[in-house]
Amino acid sequence: MAALAQPAGSPLQLIPTRSVWQRIWRNKAVVVGGGLLLLMVLVALLAPWLSPHDPYAQDLAQRTVPPVWYSAGSWLHPLGTDPLGRDYLSRLLFGARISLLIGVSVAIISGLIGTTMGMLAGYFGGKADLVVSFLVTTRLSMPVILVALATVALIGGSLWVVILVLGLLKWDRFAVVMRSATQQVRSLDYVAAAQSAGASTTRILLGEVLPNVLPHLIVVATLEAASAILLEAALSFLGLGVQPPLPSWGLMISEAKAYMFFSFWLIAIPGSALAVLIFAINLAGDGLRDLLAPEGRA
Amino acid sequence: MAHDRVPQTGDVVLDVRGLSVDIATPAGALHAVRDVSFQVRRGETLCIVGESGCGKSMTSLALMSLLPRAATRRVGTLALLGEDLATATRRRINALRGDRMAMIFQEPMTALNPAYTIGDQLMEPLRHHRGATPMQARKRAIELLGKVGIAAAGERLGQYPHQLSGGLRQRVMIAMALMCAPELLIADEPSTALDVTIQAQILRLLADLQQELGIAMMLITHDLGVVARIAHRVAVMYAGEIVEEGTAEELFASPRHPYTQGLLSCIPVPGRTAPGGQLGTIAGTVPSLIGEVHGCGFRERCPHAQPQCAQTVPQHHVAQHAWRCILEALPA
Amino acid sequence: MHIYMLKRLGLAVLVALAVSMIAFGLLRLSGDPAIAIAGEGATQADIVLVRQTYGFDRPLPVQYAEWLGRTLRGDLGESIYFKTPAAPLILSKLQTTLVLGLLSLAFALVISVPLGVLAALYRNSWIDRLCLGLAVIGQALPNFFFALLLIMLFSIVLHWLPVSGSDSWQHFIMPTVALGYYAAPAFMRLIRAGMIEVLDADYIRTARAKGLPASTVIFKHALRNAVVPVVALTAVQLGYLLGGSVVVETIFALDGLGYLAYQSITFKDFPVMQSIVLLLSVIYVVLTLASDVANAWLDPRIRVA
Repeated sequence: MAALAQPAGSPLQLIPTRSVWQRIWRNKAVVVGGGLLLLMVLVALLAPWLSPHDPYAQDLAQRTVPPVWYSAGSWLHPLGTDPLGRDYLSRLLFGARISLLIGVSVAIISGLIGTTMGMLAGYFGGKADLVVSFLVTTRLSMPVILVALATVALIGGSLWVVILVLGLLKWDRFAVVMRSATQQVRSLDYVAAAQSAGASTTRILLGEVLPNVLPHLIVVATLEAASAILLEAALSFLGLGVQPPLPSWGLMISEAKAYMFFSFWLIAIPGSALAVLIFAINLAGDGLRDLLAPEGRA
Repeated sequence: MAHDRVPQTGDVVLDVRGLSVDIATPAGALHAVRDVSFQVRRGETLCIVGESGCGKSMTSLALMSLLPRAATRRVGTLALLGEDLATATRRRINALRGDRMAMIFQEPMTALNPAYTIGDQLMEPLRHHRGATPMQARKRAIELLGKVGIAAAGERLGQYPHQLSGGLRQRVMIAMALMCAPELLIADEPSTALDVTIQAQILRLLADLQQELGIAMMLITHDLGVVARIAHRVAVMYAGEIVEEGTAEELFASPRHPYTQGLLSCIPVPGRTAPGGQLGTIAGTVPSLIGEVHGCGFRERCPHAQPQCAQTVPQHHVAQHAWRCILEALPA
Repeated sequence: MHIYMLKRLGLAVLVALAVSMIAFGLLRLSGDPAIAIAGEGATQADIVLVRQTYGFDRPLPVQYAEWLGRTLRGDLGESIYFKTPAAPLILSKLQTTLVLGLLSLAFALVISVPLGVLAALYRNSWIDRLCLGLAVIGQALPNFFFALLLIMLFSIVLHWLPVSGSDSWQHFIMPTVALGYYAAPAFMRLIRAGMIEVLDADYIRTARAKGLPASTVIFKHALRNAVVPVVALTAVQLGYLLGGSVVVETIFALDGLGYLAYQSITFKDFPVMQSIVLLLSVIYVVLTLASDVANAWLDPRIRVA
């Protein structure tokens, strides 16, 4: 297991040493992606203070005002306004909160489910493994977006419904990766040592196995978060995700579709924001994978 | 040891002078092969013998232009039947490889492509270099499979590499190398990865083929036993240099370089080594070849080392026997 | 080899059954399906009538068994919205989506294979970094955004391609690109990784020693061995593409299964909705099985044991 500078077979040190910081710094992907991501997280957190206006405040006298770089634009609304007169910059910033919330929440929920399944399957093998593999295969056979769409349509759309549905559907990658990572770790010495010392299974799983499959977990989590953000955007775009007036970027694009021909910036701005966010997460995730678990590199 | 190998006087097929190979490493340039020179004549087997890491494999790869990316080759003369290989174009090298010069490798298990049949891979060189039709290529393949001692050749053609044993695969490799009747055959440790009994068979096969076809053969090995079996001439390599070269007979009977002497003392010789007697060892380890290298590479381990050995080492020639050492003759 | 295949087949059947249960259960998510079907403003009597007509008053396992039986016989119920039998409706749209899916897959492969091979050959050079960079960027673009960009560029600005509909082959160009580009990066990385590994193999050195031209070494010897995991991925991606087509088809108003799925979901057309989910899942199971077979067949070590 590559990772953070410790001798083979010993438990992971959770506080990186200086040589580790050097390695991180040299990995351009992590630096650029991570930096960009950090920036976006900061912006999202500070949205209430950074936004010039209330993202929900409609001003029908100022509908579809173009951004400041057009002749008809002004600094009053730097990124223009949407068809209901709401300030686009403010909506963009608050939209970042939604995307990030989705990414993190779905990653946590699906991560919990998938990691538990994967670790149990990898640690116990046998029947547990068969059951989990079967569940994963079944889940993989289902068209996620359709099932998500149908479920949301039946229950009713909202931010938390989307999070829950995606979280309950996207655990497969976690299960697969955690399973193989656990299998690798399982055969290492200190696990056997813990077992012979009479530690309970839970204690072993949480105390010995988990810290060592953590690198893989982090890598999968970043990639799944990105995937979840894209899925929510698609769902909201189709009208079956987050509901108006929430400023989900996907929803904003959907609302702007009718105005596409005259005001393409209404689509371009949230679309680019999505692309940049996903790019940052994927880049950071790739870089993390190179750093933490290079053997998983595809 | 039977030395019924008469030194050959045919044409020089391979002429190598001043061959050096450097490998780029994070710690600096590694001088894997240093100013190596030798010739191989038609109908003659030259064995390059040395321990792991002495640069013998790199030498053979350099000849075939098969060096890894990180390696650079410098050479004074590299000629195949008079044709300069050092400045030849990529196209020309490709045209010569597999046609006029062929190579077989150490690991028969992985040297053949698992996705294609033996027949397909056998026929490739002939079809590519000579434009042979599948019919013609097939015929030649069967002929050669027979020559290398594989029965039921026709059936074998349709089989996949994983269906053959290691010894059979190596025979196939040999047949494949001979498809275009090359002038030069380079064999890099052809028998090392095989069972002991098969080793003898393969070596015998190579010797017989050489006699029959009169090709020039260069065989890399770390095993003096192989040398005894098959070599006309021997070049002993140490730390990237050829330290001694001569006919097999001379080398075994009267080695001139301390390293050669050390090597010979490590192996038991029927008739010479007393039963229960001690085998020799050579103390020390191979020197680092990274960065500046000068003087004799063996001086750290040589029982006869002198201060001058750290400077340039003189070369001696007596008839066909050459060696690099301060000493003109080893103390008895 | 045959026992292996039988095992895979058995597993496939089990998975298909499990998926059918989920598809069946999907309907029950909204609570009482009778209420949903009866619609708003329905009276109690209406609801009871619906319940009896659709058989919702019987025990769940019985309903499932009946539904499964009917489905296997090809009776997928009747579309609530279109008022025609669901099965012919779905099948008529399937063709369009299959064409779109296959075209997208082909498009993805056409871009990714050369790029992957190039990246592997010039590993760690600027070419490699460019290809990997393109891959990351490609995966960052949401497909609906990319589709809209394409429309903007090719329909509005350049007037080259039609915006929506599915009448001519030109109608398929943008949807193919919009659907296929997202699959390309995964293929590219896989081919790159496979080629890098294979190019280090001994048999490649043998091929070069035989004086074979570079193109033969790369395409005949190397790619053939690097391609095996790609075949497995192809099945996965095709399944993805078929499912993901809902967004693209809806944007381009392409009259396929994805568009029908969107309509059925929006209009709460349960029979159609269920059947599409089931159909796509079964297709996916079949694709996975096919890729297993192909995998085994491609490796002579398994095929000719």
